[in-house]
Amino acid sequence: MAKDMEQLYAERLKRYVTAMRNEKPDKIPIRPFVAEFTAKYAGYTCQEVTHDFEKAFAAARKCAADFDWDAVVGNMVYVWTGLTQAIGTKYYAVPGIDISPDTGFQYLEPPEEKAFMKPDEYDQLIEDPTGFLFNVWLPRISADVSAMGEPTSYRNNLSFLKGGMAMLNYFNAFGKQNALLRSESGTVSAISGILKAPFDIIADKLRGYIGLTMDLFERPDKVLAACEALMPHLLHVALSGADPDKNVPIGFWMHRGCVPFISQKHFDKLYWPTLKPIIEEIWAKGHQVLFYAEGNWNAHLNVFAELPEKAIVYHVDMADIFEVHKAIGHKFCISGGIPNFLLSYGTADEVRECCKKVIDGVARDGGYIMDASAIVQDDAKVENIKAMTDFTREYGVY
Amino acid sequence: MPEQKKPKRKPGVCVPWEEKLKELPKISGDEELVRKVWEDIDALGYVYIWQCLLSF
Repeated sequence: MAKDMEQLYAERLKRYVTAMRNEKPDKIPIRPFVAEFTAKYAGYTCQEVTHDFEKAFAAARKCAADFDWDAVVGNMVYVWTGLTQAIGTKYYAVPGIDISPDTGFQYLEPPEEKAFMKPDEYDQLIEDPTGFLFNVWLPRISADVSAMGEPTSYRNNLSFLKGGMAMLNYFNAFGKQNALLRSESGTVSAISGILKAPFDIIADKLRGYIGLTMDLFERPDKVLAACEALMPHLLHVALSGADPDKNVPIGFWMHRGCVPFISQKHFDKLYWPTLKPIIEEIWAKGHQVLFYAEGNWNAHLNVFAELPEKAIVYHVDMADIFEVHKAIGHKFCISGGIPNFLLSYGTADEVRECCKKVIDGVARDGGYIMDASAIVQDDAKVENIKAMTDFTREYGVY
Repeated sequence: MPEQKKPKRKPGVCVPWEEKLKELPKISGDEELVRKVWEDIDALGYVYIWQCLLSF
């Protein structure tokens, strides 16, 4: 590795980590979560970066090399549809097959009556979550996997073999990708590991959002018990993928567990009590968690503020970032707050103006990371991403 | 973390070593080696299903 690139990497890592610890680095770190934007910039279709992860990796590295970013995710087009096809996964619309090659992949939530978990199956999930996933959930979400008691098949056997080998291949490739980001452009891999809330997992992949909201009224005790049964597994998965050096945070993707998707009462009784201990346990082991608060979670800032100082990095999507800063900025680093609609439809001057307002409002004492509000897809204008980057680099010097 | 009532399968485990051990003849060699390799590979099955749920 070239010495100057290694020096650049060290500077960026220090800048990024210092900000995440809610301290003041030399400059505001820039860490955009760019997904299909990388395809647009590198000259690929959405189909290419979604179905061929090597192209996605190449596109991410090209962006990292051309923009002055401190940290990126090795592949923010996170669902490799080559793998999901090998498994036979039903719930994705794949670019170039189910939708246009120029459209990003889509998650298809089944209608309530076709939910991947039935309302009377909570006890099975609670008794043995791993067994339930293998024996009940997987056969329902895969076109190839046979249900228990049904005859097996050639395609059933291949689903496990190809799916397992493909997943290992994909995950192992991230090691090389992160090393290339470091050696080619001195860029830090922004996150390591994955966490989702027990409640969100039940909504997203098991009962569906509508099914779960009905369950909150019809069988709330079962929902709570299921969330509790999932907790140790979600903690285990999060820690098993965490950064061994304890520099970068575990990514926590927050979906539909906030008001008004659910009531304050259900948040207080179900969502938070089955999430907070996981965050506390992760922090006790020395890892931060990146709260990627998709949508607007400002109704819950008071309880997030209960977490230990520096335990999380809080990413702001559609919420008022100044309100977030006022409520929890004294305890946690904040990221994001540059609206995606502005990056898509605004002018470069408007982007610069917005960046200035955010920096002036929340970044004066450090503890801020520049990023768009949400994951950046191919609708963002290149000149606007460049404006966000260049302005922050020039203006965001402490 | 709240304690569960005797979870059927612990986190990180698909088929516990204790269950597998019952299927094997008496191990004349290094049992610890057999256990470790069993558990390491068994954990990959766990990664597979939970990553299917969480990441894909």
